[in-house]
Formats: sequence, C-alpha cells, structure tokens
Amino acid sequence: MIGYIIRRLATAVIVVLGVAAIIFALLHWLAPSPAYDVLGPKAQPAAVASWSRLHGYDRPEIEQFFTYLTNLVHLNFGYSYKLSQSVSALFKENAGRSAYLTGAALVLSLIIAIPLGIMQAVRRNTVEDYTFTTLNFVLYSMPSFFLGLILIQFLALDWGIFPPGVSSSITTTWQAFTHPAQLTLPIVTLAAINVASFSRYMRSSALDNLAQDYIRLARAKGLSERAVLARHLFRNASLPMITLVGLSIPTLLVGNLLTEYLFNYPGLGLLFYTALGNLDYNVLLAYVILGAILTVLGNLIADIAIAAADPRVRLD
Amino acid sequence: MTEPAAPLIEGLGGVAGLSATVPEGGEVQVIASGWKLALREFFDNKLAVLGLAVIVLFVLFCFIGPLIHPSNQSLVNPLNTDLAPGHGHALGTDENGFDEFGRIMLGGQTALEIGFFAATIATVIGTLWGAISGLAGGIVDGIMMRMVDILLSIPLLFIVLVLATKYSGTVVKLSLLIGLWAWPIPSRLVRGEVLTLRERDFVSAARVMGATRARIILRHLIPNALSVVIVNVTFQIADSILILAYIGFLGFGLQFPATSWGDMLGGAQNYVTEGYWWLVYPVGGCLVALVLATNLVGDALRDAFDVRLRRR
Amino acid sequence: MPALEVEHLSTHIELSRATVQAVGNVSISLDTHEMVGLVGESGCGKSMLGLSILGLLPNGGHIVEGSIKLDDRELVGLPTAELRRVRGNEVAMIFQDSQSSLNPTKTIGEQVAEPVRLHRGASKREALDRALEVLELVGLPQPRERLGDYPHQLSGGLRQRVMIAIALSCEPKVLLADEPTTALDVTIQAQILRVLDDLRDRHGMATLLVTHDMGVVAGRTSRVNVMYAGRIVESAETHRLFTGMRHPYTQALLGSIPRLEQDATKPLVSIPGLPPDLTNPPQACRFAPRCPRATEQCRAEEPPLKGEHASHVFACWHPVDGPIELTSQIRVVAERAARLDVKALKPVLQIENAVREYPVTAGLLKRKVASVKAVSDVTLTVGEGEALGLVGESGCGKTTLGKLVVGIEKPDGGRVVLAGEEVFRNRGRALRFARRDLQMMFQDPYASLDPRMRVHASLREPLIVQRIGSAREQEKKIRTMLDEVGLPHNALERYPHEFSGGQRQRIALARALMLEPKVLVADEPVSALDVSIRSQVLNLMKRLQAEHNMASIVISHDLAVVKYLSDRIGVMYLGKIVELGTGDDIYYRPAHPYTEALIKTIPLPDPEAERDNEDVAIRGEPPSPIEPPSGCRFRTRCPRAQATCAEVEPALRSFGPGHQAACHYPLRPASNGDVARPPR
Repeated sequence: MIGYIIRRLATAVIVVLGVAAIIFALLHWLAPSPAYDVLGPKAQPAAVASWSRLHGYDRPEIEQFFTYLTNLVHLNFGYSYKLSQSVSALFKENAGRSAYLTGAALVLSLIIAIPLGIMQAVRRNTVEDYTFTTLNFVLYSMPSFFLGLILIQFLALDWGIFPPGVSSSITTTWQAFTHPAQLTLPIVTLAAINVASFSRYMRSSALDNLAQDYIRLARAKGLSERAVLARHLFRNASLPMITLVGLSIPTLLVGNLLTEYLFNYPGLGLLFYTALGNLDYNVLLAYVILGAILTVLGNLIADIAIAAADPRVRLD
Repeated sequence: MTEPAAPLIEGLGGVAGLSATVPEGGEVQVIASGWKLALREFFDNKLAVLGLAVIVLFVLFCFIGPLIHPSNQSLVNPLNTDLAPGHGHALGTDENGFDEFGRIMLGGQTALEIGFFAATIATVIGTLWGAISGLAGGIVDGIMMRMVDILLSIPLLFIVLVLATKYSGTVVKLSLLIGLWAWPIPSRLVRGEVLTLRERDFVSAARVMGATRARIILRHLIPNALSVVIVNVTFQIADSILILAYIGFLGFGLQFPATSWGDMLGGAQNYVTEGYWWLVYPVGGCLVALVLATNLVGDALRDAFDVRLRRR
Repeated sequence: MPALEVEHLSTHIELSRATVQAVGNVSISLDTHEMVGLVGESGCGKSMLGLSILGLLPNGGHIVEGSIKLDDRELVGLPTAELRRVRGNEVAMIFQDSQSSLNPTKTIGEQVAEPVRLHRGASKREALDRALEVLELVGLPQPRERLGDYPHQLSGGLRQRVMIAIALSCEPKVLLADEPTTALDVTIQAQILRVLDDLRDRHGMATLLVTHDMGVVAGRTSRVNVMYAGRIVESAETHRLFTGMRHPYTQALLGSIPRLEQDATKPLVSIPGLPPDLTNPPQACRFAPRCPRATEQCRAEEPPLKGEHASHVFACWHPVDGPIELTSQIRVVAERAARLDVKALKPVLQIENAVREYPVTAGLLKRKVASVKAVSDVTLTVGEGEALGLVGESGCGKTTLGKLVVGIEKPDGGRVVLAGEEVFRNRGRALRFARRDLQMMFQDPYASLDPRMRVHASLREPLIVQRIGSAREQEKKIRTMLDEVGLPHNALERYPHEFSGGQRQRIALARALMLEPKVLVADEPVSALDVSIRSQVLNLMKRLQAEHNMASIVISHDLAVVKYLSDRIGVMYLGKIVELGTGDDIYYRPAHPYTEALIKTIPLPDPEAERDNEDVAIRGEPPSPIEPPSGCRFRTRCPRAQATCAEVEPALRSFGPGHQAACHYPLRPASNGDVARPPR
C-alpha cells in the first residue's frame, strides 16, 4: 500500500512539474516582465529594460523556470502588481470562502445524487425514472449561470425569498456559514450541475451492479429488497463515485468561478475574474496552476481512497 | 424453420466432401447489416429523432433565417434600445437597438460554427494522438499519455479564458482556442478503444494470415474504433457550445458587432434585474435546447452502436 | 409426499418487443434424499425453471400458470414477504458463476453468515460459528483463515464450495443446483460433485441438478428430465433414460457426445438446424423441424407427455426405442485412418524446447519479480497430415503453445520449425509467405470475426493479403469453401452478428482453410457451442481433416473431443507435456497418474460405468504457475508421489512405440523394462 502511495505521489509530482512548465511558458509569453506595471504604461523602453535586468527578468528561461519552481515549492505564487499584494496572500484571504461554497455544494450534490441514482436504477423505466432522467439531461445541458439566473429571477427578484447576490457584508467564511440565506442560491446553483452528472453516473453504476449475479444470490438468500440495496448494492455502486468526484474537481472549480461571479461572492473565482479584467497574469496563471494542483491532488486522494476501500484493487 | 430435416446420421449418403443440397449449418437468420442495425436502433429512439430534428431546425433557423427576416445588426440605434417585444420586434431589442430575434439567429450561427469546428479540431487531434499512443505502446505510449494527464489537469475554461484575453474575438480564433485545449479528452477514449481492439481475436487472426500492420490499422482497427469517435464528436460539440457560452458570458467572446449566444448573455445579470426578460430567456432557452438536443443524439448514438455489438 | 412438486408450470418473460415463453407446462417432483437431473441446452428454459421456483425471475418475468408445492405448501402466489422466508431457508440455490455471484467487497465469512443471521436471528458471533461449521462441511481447506478472505482471493473450485456453504447454512429441504460445475476444470468438478453427493446422503436434501452435461447426471441422479425449447420432452429413471430412451432428441443428444471409447472413424450423431425462437413457439412438436422422423402430425399437433409407466414419460408421436447405433464410418475418414501410419510420417512441424513465460511486476519501479511459466521446455513433432491433440486443464499452457505455433506469441526459448525452417526468424515478405502454412481457428466465435466486415470480405482477406489468385479465382474459391463448411451462399453478404455461434465457427474454419495451410491450430473449437451444435462442427472438422490432408493441432480441455479429432494426444499439466501417445495409448494404457485422473474424472454419460467408478484420489487445487512445484509439477496432487518426485524432474520415457510419459512411478512398466514401482 505504501509503495502504491509513493508511486502515485511520484506520478503526481511529475504531472505538476509538467503543468508548471506549461504555465511558466505561458506566463513568460504573456507577461515577460512586470516592468510596465511598476513603471507605468508610458515608460521608456530603456527604463523598462534596465528595470527588468535589475530584477532578474532577462535571465535565461531555464534559470527563471527554476526560480519559479522554487517559489512554488515555498508556496510563493508571485506578486500582483495590480492589487499590490502577494498572490499567496490573496489566495489565503479568499480560499476559505471559496472552499466553504464549493465544499457545501459538493456535499449537497452527493447527498442528493447518490440516493437519486439508486432510486432511478431500481425504478428503471418508470415515470419517476424518466422524469428525473429528463431533468438531469436538461440540467446537464444548461450553462450553470443560466440556472443561476433563473433562480435569481424567481426566488430572489420575483418572490424575494433569497437575495439576488451575496451581501457585501459577508466578508469571512464564518459569516458565510452563519448566514445560510445569503449562501443558499450560490450553493444550490453550484450543486445543481453536479447533481445532474453524479446521479446519471450513479444510476448507470447501480444498473450495472443490479445486473450482477451477486445481487441475485443475495435475493436468493431471502433478503428483503431494501436489505439487498443497503447491504450489497450501495457500497459496490458507490465506489466508482469516489473516482468521479476526483475527476470532477476541474468542473467544480469552473462552476465556482461562474457562481462567485454571478452572485458577487468574494472568493477565488471572483478574484480570477477581476484579474482577467486587469490582465493580471500573475494572478491568473497562479490560479490556473493552483487549480491544476488541486485536480492532481483530488485524483491522488481518490485513487488512494479506492485502493483502501475496494479489496479487489491489486496494488501492484 | 421450414428446411427439411437432413438425415440424423450425417455421414451416410452424400458424404463425398461437398454437402448435399441442404447445408446442415441451418438457415441464416436475416437481421440487418451492421450500420443499418445501428441506424434502426437510433431512429427507434424517439428522443434521439427529436434531438436530430431540433438541431436541423436550429441550423435552418440560424443560417436561412436572416435571409427571410433581415434586421440591422451593426449600426447602433440609440433610440430603440431595450424595447420590449412588440412593434415590429418579435422579441424586442437589446441595449444597442438591435432586433433581438435577428440577434439570436446571428448568435446561433457562430455558436454552431464554433461548436462544430472546435469539436472537429479536438477530435481529429485527439483521435490521432490516442490511436498512435495505443498502437505504439511501451515508452512512447507512456510519454504521450503523461502529456495528456498534464493537460487534463488544467481546468479547460481557465486556460481558455486566460488566453482569450489576448487571442479571441473571431470564430476562427475561438474555435482554435477551444479545440486545441480540448483534444486530450477524446485521446484517452480512443486510446482505450484501440487497446481493447488490439487484443481481440480477429486482429490476431489478421496477423496470423500475414496482414501488414498498415492493413490491420486501416481495415480492422479504424472501422471498429469509428463508433467511439463519432459518439465523441457529438459530445464535443455540446461541450464546445457550453464553453463558448461561458466565455461569452464573462465577456471574452466575439468582437462587437459579431455575437454568440454566450456573448448575448453577458449582460444577463443586468437584464434580469432590470426586468428585460426577452433578452435573457429566449437566448438561454435556445442554448439549452441546442445543447440538450446534441447530448440526446450523442447518447442515442452510443446506445445504438452498443446494441449492435452486443447483439448475438 | 415429495419435498418439492412442480405441476404444469409456465413462465413468460416480457421483453420490449416480444414475450419469451421460457417455460411451458413443466412438471417435476423431488423427494428427500433424491437427486434429480434436469438436462437441456442453453435457452431451453432449465435455468428459468429454477428461478421460477424461488420467484427470482428477471424483469418482466412472471409465472403464468401452474403450481409449485413445497411440502404441500403452495408457493405460487405467495406474498413476497413469505416467499423470502422460504428463500435461502427451506429452498436454496447455487449458481454457475461463482466469481460474479459473490459480493466482491464482502468477506467470505460475512457472506456465509448472512442467511443464518437473517433466518435464524443469530448474533454475529453465532452466525460466524455456523459459517465455520458449514465451510468445513463442504471441505474448504483452512476454513478459519478463509473467513476473512475476499472472493477474488479464492480459486474457482473453492468459491464454488463457498456458494454451496451459503446454500447449506440454514439446512434447506431443497437444493437447486444450476450448472454448479460448468465453469470448473474437470478434476475440480469431480470434487464438487462429490461434495453434493455427500450432502445429499448425509442431510437428505432433495436436490435438483440442472446441467447441459449428460455425464454429470448419469452417475448421481435417480431420475433425469430432458428439456427442450421450454418443454419437458422426456422424463425417466436414469438408467432407463440412457439405455432405453424414447424421444428422438434425447437419442440424438446422447449420440452427439463424443465418447472416449468411440471409434473415431464413425461420425457423431448431429442435429441439424437450431432450437426454435421462443417468442413465437409453434403450436406443434417443438423439435419437429430438426427431427428426421417428423411427419405432418408432428408439425400440426403437439404431442402430450405420457408413457406406459408413470415413471417413464415422453412427448413424441413417433418415439424411438433406445440409443442409436452408428455403424457406418465416414468414408474419407476411414480411408485416411487406413493409410495413415503415425510413426512413419514425415515431420512437418517441430516444436523444440519451447519456453514461454510472462513477467509479473511488482513494487515501486514495476520490476519483474516473478514469471508465469506458461510453457516450459516442450518438444513436439507433428507429421504431415497428422492430427495432434493437446489436452489439459486451465493454466496448463496448451493455448499458449498454440499461439507459439502460429506466431501470435514469440517463444522466450526454443524454436518453432516448419518444414525444416525456423519460420518466425523471417521478416517481411518471407514471413508473410511462411504464414500461409500456419493458420488458426480461435475459441470464441463471437470475437474471432471482425464485426464490421461482411463474411465475403472476411473470407477474401487471406487471399488478398497473400496475393493468391485473380479476382475470379478468389470468388470461386470462396464459394467452394462455403459449400465445404455447409453454409448457404447468401451468407456472404451478411455480417457476423447475424449468425449463431456454430455458424460463426464454420466461417472461422473456412477462413482458416482459405490458404490451404500445412498446419491448422484449432483452439477449443467447440467449447463455446451448444451441445447439439458441437457434433455438427466436429463432424465437419473430421471430414475436412481427411480431405485436405493437412496437419492439425486440436487444443481442448475436453479429452473426448480431442480423442475424437486426433491421431496422437499430448497431455499437458502446468506447462509441461506429461504424456504423449495415440488415443488408444492414452485411454487404454495410460502411464501418467494425471492422465488416469483426467480419464476417471470425466463424467461419462453411462450410468453403470459412473456408479462403478471408484474415487480417484486427485486432491487439492492446481498450484500456481508462478511458482510451480519443484521436480515433478504434478506431485502436490499425485497419489503416488514420493520424495524423488520433489527432487528430480522426470524426463519423458518410452512406454511403447510413440508412447511417452514423464513420471518416476508410472502406472505401467516402461519400455526399457523398468518395473513400475508401486507407491508405498
């Protein structure tokens, strides 16, 4: 088991290195030197050149890359000249709020999707199944912001149950947590798309398992249908969900971006959007690499979790 | 079964090599040819037919529509902005005074174009990459797939947005942008399919009869992998349209006065607050309908090909 | 009063397009202490019958009429909650595939204990104790250690024992065994069947043994029911069924199975055509389209199930009387047998010291830590036009050897020599040319043909690749070959999925023969086919062997099939040839204990012979091919093993002209005068 973890870690490191190389290349291409940010857009080329040389932005790419990597390892993601803060500080400030939003949405979507998928599989081809399948298809085909807009239109503007955007008075994670009404629409919006894809997958996994002989044997033992589902089906059908959640991290990050933008929620996503407007490449690419690292980590954890939970997985 | 029964004792009468009039293999049951069977399964699926019809309708609507219902889509008309539906504008006007109905047609053109081109680029590159990787095996496969892993770790929308700050605005640019970052997804699928096919007995049989590698790839592997590729293209189109919607919504889509459905929804938050529902829901509805239809068709295609392979 | 009485049971399964009438008007009864057989081919409804009894029908399935009485209690129409109390408790079932029938993420102990906790209300501790008890009962070695194991850690035979244990855990009155040994090797099958016998003896369970294998029911059942197309066509006391059957289907079925003592020049009884489609069964005798005795009456009216005595009933208007005697030989085959002198043949294929090992990787860097020794130092010669058979159980290396011969795999040691030349050393054009002479027919008829290519293209491909003949000549050859394998010309335009398994094997055979190879390797040619279809393909192969005068290597786990198709037979065990000789040598004069065990454990469709069969002590499970035992690889299961067997590997010694075996303590004296030393 340890060997497996080490091997997977090694793979993960290689992948992150590869991503870092790509991101660095992009960074170097898009924003070779922050000289213009510091000296102003009207600075003289000569001044720009000497500033760049002074701060080491004219060294060979490989050297710069190594500096970049070293910084990353020390969790130094660079500096935002537009916001006059280190990127790491910006991340730290926003991470908690984003984590809360995304985490709550993920948990909500799993709580709904897993039982829903099983129910659909058990009641295959009935009215309930068709209804939910249709609903899932529609949700799956919808851009997440559109769902958000609909929710805002009806639940916020027309019926006034929830606010259309998160109030600017919510500035800390704790405040977000203690004001559920403010966070309801964003969490639901972010969760909805995931519910669609998770329950679809769960339905398929449950159907596959229901067709297996061990379910038939469990019934032949005299177990009630509920016992068969709870004691035999549930675990085996849910195992692949672990992998799926790991693979969904990029989707969650994207959804997070759109939701925070739509609801004006002060998190990493909104930070990214602001940086897009400012052409603040340091922040942008730092977020991209952060996203990549989170994706790789997510997959790693998912793989290890499966290896621990499923006795069939041969670890070599 | 109406064939007369051959003698139970096979071996008496008519044994000298060639069989008698009735081949004892039994009648061949005629089901249908391979592709025809898949097509029949597909068209049996009513939702799939509906989806296909919707797609065709949208294509006609967006490309032929402006010829029947021309409207001003380039000269800003400050007097006519944000009009509600009525008075010659079936769906009202937007903040530039453009007829919304006509704008939807225009937006749809680019959505379809970009969706199609991006999907094609991604699938062509992805298929080649995955096929070569799967066939080569060994270290080459390892390296190629590691590169795919690296690219797949980067959230697609993020990188596309970052690059869109410098490289966006036209159909071609956006298609390339999306297509060139989306290809890793089909490459994994195709590689998986190629690996499975390689181990199949009929490929071994071809090797045993002396077929060259080229022949095996062209005559055996590619035709059998085709179904996966076709299904994938369809889903890629749906995904590309969605990504385009996100890009447009965040404001990095096409250059004014060109537009796409995503761009049209860029100001949607304002529209909703101001109550300009005609600028939000019709466009959004079309978007969802097109993507839904494409997903339905993709799903049905996948089921149709599966049935054919499973049929015994 | 019978323990289980099924009367006039009919089950239908509603699919999206049609309704399958899976079981029609079936009546069976089981007494305590009785084992009753239910035989039939796949699709005949025998499994559905068992599932109907327990109410475990698939989606869309339901009983339309009839009654099922358990100890006089009616089960049809019983509310589900009560039926559940019967399942696993009074009536238990075991299934064919133990791999997929056990929950992969639960331990063995949990799964065996589950019914006990459910039906007896036992605590976890008590249930596990009972589980241990019942696992010992079924002969699972080291049961206490196994309680915490997962299913994938056990071999097929052990898993099947676990399934039986689960069925027994609540001491049921009735046991339904659905193909319990079909997926197992023949030596393991013998062990499992003995367990079932034991249990019936000691615990008095009424057992229904459902199988397609007539041999399996011959020795252990008191009655046998024969099922065809959803109906019972004959039911009799076992001995009577085998020696005095009345239904043509039963007669044909028995006649189509190759026997070990069979004269290989005589054809097997073959049943033309295919079983009927059960979505629209005819209102007449369902066997009529395939029956040589069918008359107008048979095609118009369904015969009732009746007979002179209540103990022997059959459904036929024109019944037969006893088994069929095939007296005439296939002419070409007889001619060939007459002129063939196995020992004087010029060798066409030589396998010299072939070795093939698959690496097993482990650890951080995926280094090779061990290897699966699939083929170890095998030397064989095949003469021109000779048929050599390779027989052995799963894992013995026979399939790998076949792949080495046709070049799908490359040997790690040794060489393959065709007509004096080491073929696979060639490259490019020379290799392609050489491949003409080595062709293969694969095991799985559903995977060996390209699903996207029409039959015409599949048959033409070898000719195109090898650039043989003009287009017209190729067409002619294709049609001739189709005729030879007994398929209509309209098959050319069809795709593989439009054919049945047996038909696809014919196409595969035709394709292999297109190049007129010097050597044809047939890997398990009939294993994937239904019993009544097998004889069609076997007869065909026999005839083609004789007509084309090509050498063939027939690989199968079924000794009877191999013996029927081969002149000489090589018996393989764990990568080695343990015995080599003619069919008669192997059957009448076996020298190696494994060969004898194989012969003795094959269930014979002959009730008397089966009953007289004393238990052959072949113990235990086959060892892992990653770490084969030192010295003689068979020693861990051999009743004659001594110390020498672990130290020195036995070499092949001669036991007669062309007859060799590798054993230190063989069953008969070797040719050089060595007296067979009896085991101590």
